Amino acid sequence: MIKYVTKRILITIPILIGVVFLIFVMLSVVPGDPITVMMGEKVKPDVIENLMERMHLNDPWYVRFVWYIRDALRGDFGESYKLHRSVSSVIANAFPKTLMLAVTAACFSWIIGIPAGILSAVKKNSIIDRLFMGFALCGVSVPAFSVGMLLQNLFNGILPVSGFSSPRHLILPAVVLGWGAAGTIARLTRSSLLEVLEEDYIRTARAKGLMPLRVIVTHALQNSLLPVITMMAIQVSSLLSGAVITETLFSIPGIGRLTVDAINTRDMPLLQGTVIFTTAIIILGNLVADILYSVVDPRIRVEGGK
Amino acid sequence: MKRKLTKILSGALAAMLLAGCGSAFDDGSSSSTTGTTNSSSGAEAGTAASSGGEAASAGEAGSVSPAGNIIRIPEADEFPTVDCQKDSAYYVVPLNIYDRLIECETVDGQATLVPGLAESWDVSEDGLVYTFHLRDDVTFHNGEKFEADDVVYTIDRMMNPETQAVNTDFFSMIKGAMDRFDGKADSVEGVKALDEHTVEITLDAPFAPFLANLATPSCSIYNREATEAAGDKFGIDPELTIGSGPFKMKDWVLNDKITLVRNDDYFKGAPSLDGIELIQVPDEQTQKLMYENGELDIVDLSSFISQLDFFLENDQYKDNIVRGTEAGTYFYLFNQAMAPMDDVRVRKAVQMSIDRQTILEQLYRGEGVVVNSFIPNGFAGSYEAEEIPYDPEAAKALLAEAGYADGCDIELYQKTEDSDAMALNQVVQSMLEQVGFHVTIKQMDDAAYTASRKEGEIGLQRAVWWADYNDPDNFLYTFFSAKNTKVRSTNHTDQKVFDLLDAGRVETDNEKRMEMYKEADTALVQEDAAFVPLFQMNHIVAVQDWVEGFSISWNGWTDVSYYNVSVKQ
Repeated sequence: MIKYVTKRILITIPILIGVVFLIFVMLSVVPGDPITVMMGEKVKPDVIENLMERMHLNDPWYVRFVWYIRDALRGDFGESYKLHRSVSSVIANAFPKTLMLAVTAACFSWIIGIPAGILSAVKKNSIIDRLFMGFALCGVSVPAFSVGMLLQNLFNGILPVSGFSSPRHLILPAVVLGWGAAGTIARLTRSSLLEVLEEDYIRTARAKGLMPLRVIVTHALQNSLLPVITMMAIQVSSLLSGAVITETLFSIPGIGRLTVDAINTRDMPLLQGTVIFTTAIIILGNLVADILYSVVDPRIRVEGGK
Repeated sequence: MKRKLTKILSGALAAMLLAGCGSAFDDGSSSSTTGTTNSSSGAEAGTAASSGGEAASAGEAGSVSPAGNIIRIPEADEFPTVDCQKDSAYYVVPLNIYDRLIECETVDGQATLVPGLAESWDVSEDGLVYTFHLRDDVTFHNGEKFEADDVVYTIDRMMNPETQAVNTDFFSMIKGAMDRFDGKADSVEGVKALDEHTVEITLDAPFAPFLANLATPSCSIYNREATEAAGDKFGIDPELTIGSGPFKMKDWVLNDKITLVRNDDYFKGAPSLDGIELIQVPDEQTQKLMYENGELDIVDLSSFISQLDFFLENDQYKDNIVRGTEAGTYFYLFNQAMAPMDDVRVRKAVQMSIDRQTILEQLYRGEGVVVNSFIPNGFAGSYEAEEIPYDPEAAKALLAEAGYADGCDIELYQKTEDSDAMALNQVVQSMLEQVGFHVTIKQMDDAAYTASRKEGEIGLQRAVWWADYNDPDNFLYTFFSAKNTKVRSTNHTDQKVFDLLDAGRVETDNEKRMEMYKEADTALVQEDAAFVPLFQMNHIVAVQDWVEGFSISWNGWTDVSYYNVSVKQ
């Protein structure tokens, strides 16, 4: 197991280098440079030239790529062009907020999504099922900005609509983010549970005369949760890579806004930093999912072991 | 094994949650103790604000600020730095924490230069040598006394290429300044401290707007000792960012909030406010909600078309709107190197196809005036310009004459994120199509747009220019001088205008100068049809009942000094 985990973690390094390479290539073909963006309306050619020279922006992208990788391997991710601060400090400042938000949203989505999915499966085709699945469909398909604006207007004056200075500030954005995730979880739980409920061993359990609740909780649920757990891990890692719209709407200084700002201002060091960071998070999330999988289902062993 | 691992995992999750909680909420404290106090006051502000909704509505009987003696202002973008030599977009912090030799204030409705750190000044006959007599009672936030050497240092720092300053234009007319910038000299030759309180500045050539230029935020004066000690952290680290202004920087939580506090030792007397909070609120709708809740004291509505109706029609807010005239002009700029705009008849046809009065009334609720010149009304050099008629029939005739009787393809360029430009462009698109243009609106992201513009490759574009200083040079030279015509994507070629604009810079007889600018401007609008002057807008700011003394600055900027503002408590 340890060998497997180590291998999986080591393989992230070439993946990350590949990702950085792609960013360099992509940003080298789109027009725009950070200095001109920074100058905005006050464009002055001689000043731009001085800055381009001093920030080594006149070097070809592959030269900058090599320098970047060399520094990054030493742990130096450079300084943000726009914010004039080290990329690591900017990310370290933003990540706790994104983490808080992601964890709260994920918990919210599980607390709502899993029971809703179970109820829907047990009461298949009932009013409850249709109601819950209707909500789930809304959750999956209604975009965050409309849910967000709706909730902001509904709860304005009751709950804070902006900022991130107390746990109360988390409630609305976590609901907005968790809402969509809950929909996915509920639908997945329902379909997976329904499938398991058709299995022979469930029929056997029922035939033994077990209580229906016991059949569902101890026999069916455990097996039906496998795909749900995978989905949960994927959702958490994607929530951790930032939620741009929710962060913008609720003025949360998280990773998502940072990344989009970095793209818009062609702030390459910051963009590379955030992308490396979120890629690593997603790879780790998938790894955790794989491990969890084998824990829940002993038949599956990582590394194809016995 | 299974159970154990589940336990470990859930334990880890809980720990992560707690750790996240701790580090997320008192994040401001991660660097300094001031941050902790700030973040707890942030939490207080949050609670105060949630009850503030009631306070605001129950507050008809003389409403008071729910947050105490501070002003809370929303900002949509994070500032790159508050070192105003290195940034040319965000001036609210520089205007409040630094001082300048000369300040520009509105006196009896006129933009007027008043003494700042310089008590008085003399200008030599030939307009080349400026002698500033400095105040001797000014101290910086670190306790250092303000002296002539600080002025010398400030100018040298701006021109030192190592500084990587972006506002060098403001000092580049000083003798030897460009040599310093190009690395040919170790200091700026034209700046000398004659004694502790006298500075002499010599220019390369007479530059009439020099004094007005010194009153811009970019020319704020820094303290040598503090700024040298801060190095790269000047303008970034609140404790190291030292000025002499009415407020001091206290705290900066990135992408969240900047806190300024009162400078009790300010040389003109301490300001009334305890402090200023600049809060990051990127979304317009959220700004509106926070304002309704009493969580914000001032909301700038000028780039806020989507919320304008709400504020101007709401019974509670419509009487608390502060208006000022912008020292700026909205216009459409042609790229004369791109077909079909290389034909003056096509440009004139565009000028005559846009019904500016209707747009102003319908789209902007009449909050402004139609202009026919680049120089805004009431501004140095403004004059009674000949009106551009709205005449679609004449426009059609001109198009036919230019060989486009069957229609003419033209592209309107804009930045993707510019929703205000989009609103206007769509109206103009339909107006142009009525006379036979086929208009495509082309959108590019900010970075791509500015990069293409610098290369002279942006076509017909809506542009806005707000004055840095009260002089027509700041408008016309920026867009239509030989030096700038390409980087602005104008690609204008009228030699007469180039000559007039260069001559205007060195002419010392003011009356003659203004005649030159009038001539250049008239040629640009009437003969060359180099642009379509549109509007001079009102600047509209919603201000809470409890705020007193807020006025829009002479140039219509949102960024103002809050020295004279107070709140009812």
